[in-house]
Amino acid sequence: MYQRKSKFERTAGIAGTILLVVYMIFSLFPLVWMVITSFKSDVDMYKTLFIFKPTLENFKNVLTTGNYVKAFTDNFIICAGAVLISVIVGVPAAYALARYQFKKKESVAFTILSFKFAPEILIIIPLFAIFQTLHLYDTYLGMIWIYQFIGLPLLIWVLRGYFEDIPVEMERAAELDGYSWWSVFFKMLIPLIRPGLVAAALLSFIFCWNNFTFGLMLCGFHIQTITVSALTYIATDTVHYGQMAVASLIAIAPEIILCLCIQKHLVRGLSFGAVKG
Amino acid sequence: MAGIRLKEITKTYGSVKALDQISLDIKNNEFFVIFGPAGAGKTSILNVIAGITDPDEGDVYFDEKNMNYVEPKDRDVAMVFENYALYPHKTVYENIASSMRTKMHRQPQEIIDQKVKEVAELLNITELLERQPAQASNGQRQRIALGRALVRNPNVFLMDEPLAHLDAKLRNFMRKELKSIQERLHSTTVYVTHDYTEAMSLGDRIAVVNEGKIVQTGTAGEVYEFPGTEFVAKLFGDCEINLIPGQVVQEQGKLYLKLPWENHRCLLPEDVARVLREKEVTTVDLGARSAAIEYFRTPEEGCIQGQIYTNEPLGNKVELVVKAEQAMIRFTVKVDEKFQIDEKIYLRFDMEKCLFFHSDTKEFLTRHQRQTVRGGRGNGRA
Repeated sequence: MYQRKSKFERTAGIAGTILLVVYMIFSLFPLVWMVITSFKSDVDMYKTLFIFKPTLENFKNVLTTGNYVKAFTDNFIICAGAVLISVIVGVPAAYALARYQFKKKESVAFTILSFKFAPEILIIIPLFAIFQTLHLYDTYLGMIWIYQFIGLPLLIWVLRGYFEDIPVEMERAAELDGYSWWSVFFKMLIPLIRPGLVAAALLSFIFCWNNFTFGLMLCGFHIQTITVSALTYIATDTVHYGQMAVASLIAIAPEIILCLCIQKHLVRGLSFGAVKG
Repeated sequence: MAGIRLKEITKTYGSVKALDQISLDIKNNEFFVIFGPAGAGKTSILNVIAGITDPDEGDVYFDEKNMNYVEPKDRDVAMVFENYALYPHKTVYENIASSMRTKMHRQPQEIIDQKVKEVAELLNITELLERQPAQASNGQRQRIALGRALVRNPNVFLMDEPLAHLDAKLRNFMRKELKSIQERLHSTTVYVTHDYTEAMSLGDRIAVVNEGKIVQTGTAGEVYEFPGTEFVAKLFGDCEINLIPGQVVQEQGKLYLKLPWENHRCLLPEDVARVLREKEVTTVDLGARSAAIEYFRTPEEGCIQGQIYTNEPLGNKVELVVKAEQAMIRFTVKVDEKFQIDEKIYLRFDMEKCLFFHSDTKEFLTRHQRQTVRGGRGNGRA
């Protein structure tokens, strides 16, 4: 039955909307400010005016001089490599943790999760020493190796839940239908865990992309990550805020594009298990 | 098509013995029912046959071929799982067609199409074919799972309670369908159920399983008329068998059974008496199904008196529980016999239709043979 909303409900609705709008402005404003800054020339930089003469000078500087493009590519190679390895390692690990019974299973699972407990800065000195000794310092291999630890625990724990939700009888049924173990895995299991896989892989990618500590400490000469390269705009005499804003804007572009593309998976993937049936 | 032989299969999970020395010989093209209460190990037997579970000890043979180390996919069995185990990401059509898409059983598209449609029609799920399993009801999912097995032509069909989640009407219909399908396909079928009507109507032979052991194997008639133990007797029949302790007494050369009511004794038939004498049994449990109980509204010679305790109409019949002193006696009567709660009723046990069990071992001793010579089944007034 249709009921007229009471006055209170209507007022509450409006107030709620206003609050949300205020919050949206609050959270989006830094981004807006960054966009504005990127078009300002150094002269207008310290004026909090919205009226200024926009310039593309900053973009030109960032993209043509310095090594920003190389850092972007480096960052992409490292992050993509790290996510790829996380997936290759994490999917079977999650499957094993979900399906097989073995001694100390929960301890292993907990240890993997505990990688996320300590702040990176805590282990950076020993890691630096290890990297120096193993000649992994400032190499793609070393960076991919350390970056894949960022996303791996998340990936394993999300996918473990997905695998546990799939009835084991479904695998058996597929085997009895004549599928080999590999086809069961790729044709039956992977499609069912895909939402979780996509969401966890994407988040891993973002965590890697945004990482600063490892990029700062474990490389810097041949390879530079994008977060570190944004620092180079702090010159000795002045800080080039405009160029830094451009660097940051370009840096978040892939993340935003990826998120928009798979937004549907991202929300569902982390909040839902596999479909039961 | 193959016969299946299990030889002394044992399987333990931790400290639980799921299967204990199971030996079965299932003939080629037989409809074999494995029947037992929940947790008896019925599904474990199927899993061993399918190769899903490896037994700790024992051998599995298909015909004369030892299958112990053959992978499930190479055993060529089709199984219907109790929880359906459908592929949630595929349409119903693809679920049913899935076996024909594998390297092993690959078929051209026209044949797949024809077979899937045929099976869907049989199971009345044609309108579901393009949907996802999640959009189907439980009964429909069960039929999809059946369909996935029935499109194949395997060595053996394994069915784990395939009708359990259907409504009563559909279950009756599917039961008849399954029987005719099996007769048409001439396939060996191993069928697990906890529903005794399914077991009796479908099974060429029935194996009764309890606590991981096979208690009895036989045709429906055998397990019903000659149950090996009291346990088996209790499982079959829609109104549980009454078990009444009795003492065997001898008077003037004749054996009587003294039942736990004052001055109540019954003359035992000659052949029953002979067996009891030979085995020197003095105490027995009398097993009386509905058919062995006569009832009167007025006192009669050799009757015990009781009162109606509960009165439960079941459509064409009524199940009565009569309280006679300490004992509760269950039996069914025709629906047109009206009884009131607490009404007096007089019961007589027909010794010629009763079963006799050893009161210690609970094993079957004997029964009067005349009925089986006639070939009748103890239907009585049920």
